[in-house]
Amino acid sequence: MEIIMSVLAGILFATGVYNLLQKQLLRIVIGTALISHGAHLFILTMGKLKTGAPPILVKGVEQYTDPLPQALILTSIVISFGVTSLLLVLAYRAATLNKTDNMEELRGSEDE
Amino acid sequence: MSNLAIIPIIIPLLCGIIAIFFHKYVKAVRLFSQVMSIINLGVVLWIGWLVLQNGTITLATGGWEAPYGIIIVADPLAMLLVITSNIIGTACVFYAQSSLSKKQEQFYFYTFYFLLISGVSGAFLTGDLFNLFVFYEVLLMASYGLIVLGGERIQLRESLKYVLLNLFSSMLFVTTIAYLYSVVGTINMAQIADRVQQVDQTGILTTIGMLLFFVFATKGAIFPLYYWLPKSYIVPNPVVSALFGALLTKVGIYSIIRTFSLIFVHETNITHDLFLWLAGFTMVFGAIGALSTNNVKLIIAYNIIPAVGFMLMGIGLLSQDGLAGSVYYLLHDMIIKAVLFLLIGALVYVAGTSDLTKMKGIIHHYPFLGWLFFLAALVLAGIPPFSGFIGKILLIQGGVEQGQIMLVVVGLGSSLLILLSMMRIFMRCFWGEKEELNGGLKPIRSFTWPAAFLLIFSVLLGVGAEWVYPYVEIIANDLLDPSIYIDSVLKE
Amino acid sequence: MIYAVFAPLVMTLLIPFFNKWKDKIHTGWFLLPIPLFIFLYFVQFIGEGFSPVAESYQWIPSLNISIDFYLDGLSLLFVLLISGIGTLVLLYSIYYLHKSERLGHFYIYLFIFMSSMLGVVLSDNVYVLYTFWEFTSISSFLLIGFWHYRERSRYGALKSMLITVFGGLSLFAGIVTLTYITGTTSIQEMINQKDIIIDSPLFPLILIFIILGAFTKSAQFPFHIWLPDAMEAPTPVSAYLHSATMVKAGIFLIARFSPILAGEPMFFIIVSLFGIITLCWGSYMAVRQTDLKGILAFSTISQLGMIMAMLGFGTKAAIFAAVFHILNHATFKGSLFMIAGIVDHETGSRDIRKLGGLMTFMPISATLALFGVFSMAGFPLPFLNGFYSKEMFFEASLHLDGYGGQFIPFFQQAIPYLAVFGSIFTFVYSMYFFFGTFRGEAKMGELPKKPHEAPIGMLISPFILVLGVILIGLFPNLVNGTFIAHSAEAIYGSAVEKDIYFWHGLTYPPLIMSIIVVVLGTLLALTRQKWAGIYTIFPRNLSFNEVYNYIVDKTETASTKITNKYMTGSLRHYVLYILIAILVVSGVVFFLTNGFAIDTSGLSTLKLSDVPDILVGLTMAIAAIGTIFTNNRLSAIIILGVVGYGLAILFVIYRAPDLALTQLIVETVTVAIFLLCFYHLPDLKKIKEKPSITLTNSIISIGFGALMTIIAISAHSSKWFEPISNYFLETSKPLGGGYNVVNVILVDMRGLDTLFEITVLGIAALAIYGMIKLRRDKEAK
Repeated sequence: MEIIMSVLAGILFATGVYNLLQKQLLRIVIGTALISHGAHLFILTMGKLKTGAPPILVKGVEQYTDPLPQALILTSIVISFGVTSLLLVLAYRAATLNKTDNMEELRGSEDE
Repeated sequence: MSNLAIIPIIIPLLCGIIAIFFHKYVKAVRLFSQVMSIINLGVVLWIGWLVLQNGTITLATGGWEAPYGIIIVADPLAMLLVITSNIIGTACVFYAQSSLSKKQEQFYFYTFYFLLISGVSGAFLTGDLFNLFVFYEVLLMASYGLIVLGGERIQLRESLKYVLLNLFSSMLFVTTIAYLYSVVGTINMAQIADRVQQVDQTGILTTIGMLLFFVFATKGAIFPLYYWLPKSYIVPNPVVSALFGALLTKVGIYSIIRTFSLIFVHETNITHDLFLWLAGFTMVFGAIGALSTNNVKLIIAYNIIPAVGFMLMGIGLLSQDGLAGSVYYLLHDMIIKAVLFLLIGALVYVAGTSDLTKMKGIIHHYPFLGWLFFLAALVLAGIPPFSGFIGKILLIQGGVEQGQIMLVVVGLGSSLLILLSMMRIFMRCFWGEKEELNGGLKPIRSFTWPAAFLLIFSVLLGVGAEWVYPYVEIIANDLLDPSIYIDSVLKE
Repeated sequence: MIYAVFAPLVMTLLIPFFNKWKDKIHTGWFLLPIPLFIFLYFVQFIGEGFSPVAESYQWIPSLNISIDFYLDGLSLLFVLLISGIGTLVLLYSIYYLHKSERLGHFYIYLFIFMSSMLGVVLSDNVYVLYTFWEFTSISSFLLIGFWHYRERSRYGALKSMLITVFGGLSLFAGIVTLTYITGTTSIQEMINQKDIIIDSPLFPLILIFIILGAFTKSAQFPFHIWLPDAMEAPTPVSAYLHSATMVKAGIFLIARFSPILAGEPMFFIIVSLFGIITLCWGSYMAVRQTDLKGILAFSTISQLGMIMAMLGFGTKAAIFAAVFHILNHATFKGSLFMIAGIVDHETGSRDIRKLGGLMTFMPISATLALFGVFSMAGFPLPFLNGFYSKEMFFEASLHLDGYGGQFIPFFQQAIPYLAVFGSIFTFVYSMYFFFGTFRGEAKMGELPKKPHEAPIGMLISPFILVLGVILIGLFPNLVNGTFIAHSAEAIYGSAVEKDIYFWHGLTYPPLIMSIIVVVLGTLLALTRQKWAGIYTIFPRNLSFNEVYNYIVDKTETASTKITNKYMTGSLRHYVLYILIAILVVSGVVFFLTNGFAIDTSGLSTLKLSDVPDILVGLTMAIAAIGTIFTNNRLSAIIILGVVGYGLAILFVIYRAPDLALTQLIVETVTVAIFLLCFYHLPDLKKIKEKPSITLTNSIISIGFGALMTIIAISAHSSKWFEPISNYFLETSKPLGGGYNVVNVILVDMRGLDTLFEITVLGIAALAIYGMIKLRRDKEAK
């Protein structure tokens, strides 16, 4: 199962990176979102999957899944949410001010 | 075990939050920030003094012992860097009042500034890899706030690239932490080091280490990952550029020093030899970049890169002299980069352009600025007896010791190019016929004094090396022996 | 001694105050006593019984850097030159520089130089020596650029700085290597460890590093090109730095390290070969110059070459001659520079084509020049010191110690001929200088000013120097035993005793060489007009200046070209480079370290209950790939949402309820913001890309995804340690007081993370608010 999930996360990374390499701003932002999903899935997979109950202590249960990766993911989700929101607003502002959503037209030149 | 260790993180955090509440009152928030940054500098100096005298202070946050909770480790290296950051920060706060517009000051410049300092200090002090990621995000987020401040067209464009690349590397960072956790089952750096040592860094560990290196190298602007840097560092206000140039890349370098002297030290013929190559390329391409443009701000921004190469060289050598050289160069470079950005900010302000072909004879009008710049240029080029020189002696000596003659030659060659790039600015902008300035003489005292204040430290770090170097020597010694760090964290 | 070295430097702090009265009293008068006192202080060391004096002060003991001064015969010769000529130059400058010039700057630079130069010749610690060394380069830069509004001055300043700092860096590499081998930073200690140094495999490197340092500073071929351009500096500077002192720092360096380096065949070949070439090239080129100072500059180059060659010979006689010539050169060349300055000052021109016949207008200057010129030419007269050292040079060139090898004997045979060749041209340019300026027809019409004799004050300094020329010529043994011998001893390593005679008999070979020089020199000087055309054949337009210009220009243009090539500003390129770097390096490291591992036993086995996750996973994969192909922004965002919600479902399946909740909320809000922000942007278009671009993109992204997957599998298969989270499970209730372990970790065990995670969100909110609000305000305006 972990292998399947690793492959899935890998696919998310690959598609994310592919989108990141595109010209249109929306695609690029979508790319970053995919990459963060991929990253979170990787973290989850790195703990063992399905090896025990959810890490909420209940009498009689001995086996729990690893709680630490979950805590890390939670922190990471919130942080990437913050960054993504900022990125979206920034992308919107940059695109309207520069009057293009094509990153290739946002290269800039020497004489500025 | 003492709460002192976390104070350098907490004070700026609180200041940043408090500053939000009266952000509209520019004068008040300005005064508050100036006073608080001086107070913080004082506190940090005091803590630093304690650490240098009595040894590392650690703090297990929330009372959760290492390796389970987050450990804050105020060791001499971290404290020296925290002190340096705060010195620079203080100078920048005083520079900000005249460099920024009122609107920019109102829109949370001071909050972002304090949180940047908080994040940077946290990154230096933390002993936990995931917590390092969190502090990275704090300082990056603060830097996003700072870089878009003003919202000019070009600024937003370059900010976008900056945010995107950093977001990518952040995601790579968490993924790498996850990999590492899977293998060694911990995220406490000391324990990671301990466990990596137990299995002799076999199998997948070196690859994971390289990924981590790339994460830090992206922030630290090492060849071939620095592309984002030059342009995005010149678009914001000079005071922001100074903070970025002085602090951000250096956090990346610090992280590399930490991880590759503490954790991944068992496959040096692969990792550290690679660093030496990268160091050489970084120096060459950085210096070449600095010569490639007529934009004075861009020249300074490019000059960040070869300096990073020098520091990486010391890490790659992984010897007493090499590491001491890297650390010394790190301290030197933080200060001098801030100075240069501040001075260039003033230059662009008085000249009304950042194109050096359009300026001349500025020294007739602003002699103090001109000579400060000249001195700063000498410091940057590593002319003795200023601060760059001490680091260079150690690095070159470290290089010679290990027979890296080519790298030594490349390093010295790039120093010459750096000097040339600085002299181009000095000769074209400051020298030349006197001519009337458009806009007349402007008062720039509040620009030059903060820079002069920092420059004093540059000179002191060189002439007064005896006051600092013994500590750096101890730091290098400690870095070479990971067990010192591991013991100080794990065996309280 | 330390006071003597730092007195000028300390004085620079006071110069701005003196400068306030410069309208009343020339700033120079205040400063004149300083070099004079230094001179007088060092004069007292002169004597037969001189023995080296050392002084030591702590600076950076932990790096073995301390200010150690060591005054031996060699240093004494140089400090006397520096302070003595310094005094004369200062006196001269008072008359030369008008009060309207920026005198403060001038004297500050000059005094920085004086301190540094004294430091160079007195330091025993290599790092301190290097420090002073670089400061001589910097002060020279500032002095050459004194009139920085002139393009030529700036050009000359930069050139001298680049070349000398280049040499400085090389010297630096040399001394670091020396320090590494010997473990000491003291030159005297290094000399004691000569054998260790010579046996070291790094020895050739050290030799080259140090020689490069010396050659650049002392303007040796082909680094001589900076010196002629340095003539843009005010004449007192040319007389002081660029003939008497700074350019001799390279000579000093070679002399200082001679006890270590000399005697090695490599040292002999390089130093004497380049010295001789410099001698010939400099004197040959000097005849071509039209600027008085240009002639003197090339003359200095050639004389420096001669001294350098003698140091390269390394024999007793040669070293003695070298030391003697250092002194003699300083006297006659110093006076000639001052005369050239006087001519420039009083006629307004230094162009020898416009000058002529000045003898009648400036008889005193002409007389002084006469002595200087004939001394320089090595004319055999008993009252010209230049002749003595020139004759010794000839003698030394005839008696070279044998080295083995193929090339060396041949080279040794050639040296006397080259020496005579160089000296003939020395004779020619000397005559050219004097007769071109002072004899012949006066061309009054072409001169900007009506020529007249210089004020007495300006003539004092050259007069004293010429007096030196004559006195040393008449009584050479006056300086011999008292300090020339000491100086030579310091270089040679053991006592050097030599008596200086004028007359050795008619068949004395050096005399014959001198006579050949005079005869042929006179012939060539008389017929100069006829053969001057030779310069259009050789060197034509070939010049090392071109090489320098080419290198500097190319450095800039090539830098621009290279940098613009990869710094395109395109995000795609940047991401691409970064990804390729990560892929290649990590991939290679992965294989080198045998990173791959797969361990199926630790994995959870596939069961029927796994079907839902696989289905969800499959959906997510399809959706993720779908984002690439969709051309509608709405559907793109929704597909992205599918991936996000899919992840939430996976969190549920994999026993992470808190994550699932958070993910659900965050995903919903994100999609909303997505919609808001991109509602106003253009719709997605199907952009036709070149197949090559699409292919690169695909390869890189698939490669990267694959890399991450493989590392993940390997990492997962290498679970070598018990994770620390067991501790959390155990202590969550008793210590953390909560049943939900994830929550306890977040708020307690890793509370600091959470605190700063909230901070991140807060900053993001402020930044977003700032962006929106600032825009509103702008639009409102």
